[in-house]
Amino acid sequence: MSKPIKLALAALLLPAAALAGAAAAASGPSPIYKLRHDNFEAMGRAMKGTFDQFKKSSPSIPAIQANANALAAAAIKVKGHFPKGTGPQAGVKTEALPAIWERPADFAAAADRLVSATKGLQAAVATGDLAKIQPAAGAVGGSCKNCHDTFRKAKA
Amino acid sequence: MTTNSTAAATPAGTPVRLWDLPVRLVHWSFVIGIGLLWWSAENHRMDLHFKVGLVMLGLVVFRLLWGLVGSSTARFASFVKGPAAIRAYLAGQKAGTAAHVVGHNPLGALSVIALIGVLVLQIGLGLFAQDTDAVNSGPLNFLVSYDLAVEISEIHEAVFNVILGLAGLHIAAILYYRFIRHDNLVSPMLTGRRVFTEAVTTPRIASLWLALVCAVLAAALAVWVSWGLPPFATPFPWDRPAAAAAMPDASSYM
Repeated sequence: MSKPIKLALAALLLPAAALAGAAAAASGPSPIYKLRHDNFEAMGRAMKGTFDQFKKSSPSIPAIQANANALAAAAIKVKGHFPKGTGPQAGVKTEALPAIWERPADFAAAADRLVSATKGLQAAVATGDLAKIQPAAGAVGGSCKNCHDTFRKAKA
Repeated sequence: MTTNSTAAATPAGTPVRLWDLPVRLVHWSFVIGIGLLWWSAENHRMDLHFKVGLVMLGLVVFRLLWGLVGSSTARFASFVKGPAAIRAYLAGQKAGTAAHVVGHNPLGALSVIALIGVLVLQIGLGLFAQDTDAVNSGPLNFLVSYDLAVEISEIHEAVFNVILGLAGLHIAAILYYRFIRHDNLVSPMLTGRRVFTEAVTTPRIASLWLALVCAVLAAALAVWVSWGLPPFATPFPWDRPAAAAAMPDASSYM
């Protein structure tokens, strides 16, 4: 093949190779951003599931229990979902504020508060008493807000 | 001047009561309400968004009721026309032979229906919508799943652009009438009166007592919806257990 033809082929094939590489990367393990986003979404889903029951005429304790378990399972993952270098400076779309990495002890405390609140909710659900469950769910909500106020970008 | 047995006529040059007070109040409340709803959504003042949305629900229900029993120029049956009537109206306009329409003309009626229709749609969607935290949500959100509520919220956001487009078209039409046709449509919507250059049939203005009855019905419906349609899916507020009643709304936690 002549040189110009080789060059033309390369020009055609290189972007295709780059695309294939990108596709392979996308099909690999989910990047941490997606993991933590999905984890927070799972918590939003479980919070809605829990609070929806409080509105119903006869709240279902098993439904609240399933959501409380989902909240507890998601809560313990939060602390590990923010390794160094995964903040906004990495150039990705994230609502995580730099404060997470600037004040790691405070962030860890906020995450721990969420974990203990979700355990508190599980314990309250085990009693089956709505009068105990509702304040415990409120405490979970309070721990969400506690962290969002400092470590999540204000909704724009 | 011509008169007939069923409706009185107003001679040329005399102000006609065209738009009644309820129609004007509702119209300008829609203008303010849409502005407030946009502003509160953009600035995450969801507390305000919910309150204004509730008022808008009441207003649009009132306007629908008033379209059935209100003054002649407010009634859908008196101004909503089919395609044939619209074509005839446009042909008359083109030929310059058309009589003055007292109230919405057959083409303008489409705009009224589209604007009220899109408000009904948007308010209906808003009742089920939620924000990213899934707890700052409309009063009927608890009746739908998380995934459905996400879809509804996206449509709720998109429909606002349809409202903007229709409002823009509405304003463009008013500017066309003002500057090309030399016909001021804004002033009658403020004062309720306008002068015609020929004798016209006098609109029949409905009683304000009837408007009050419609307003009370509309407000009651809006409050009932905001409570989550008790007693079907949720108890009346006064029937809720003390723990539930004492509990702040989930949105206050986010």
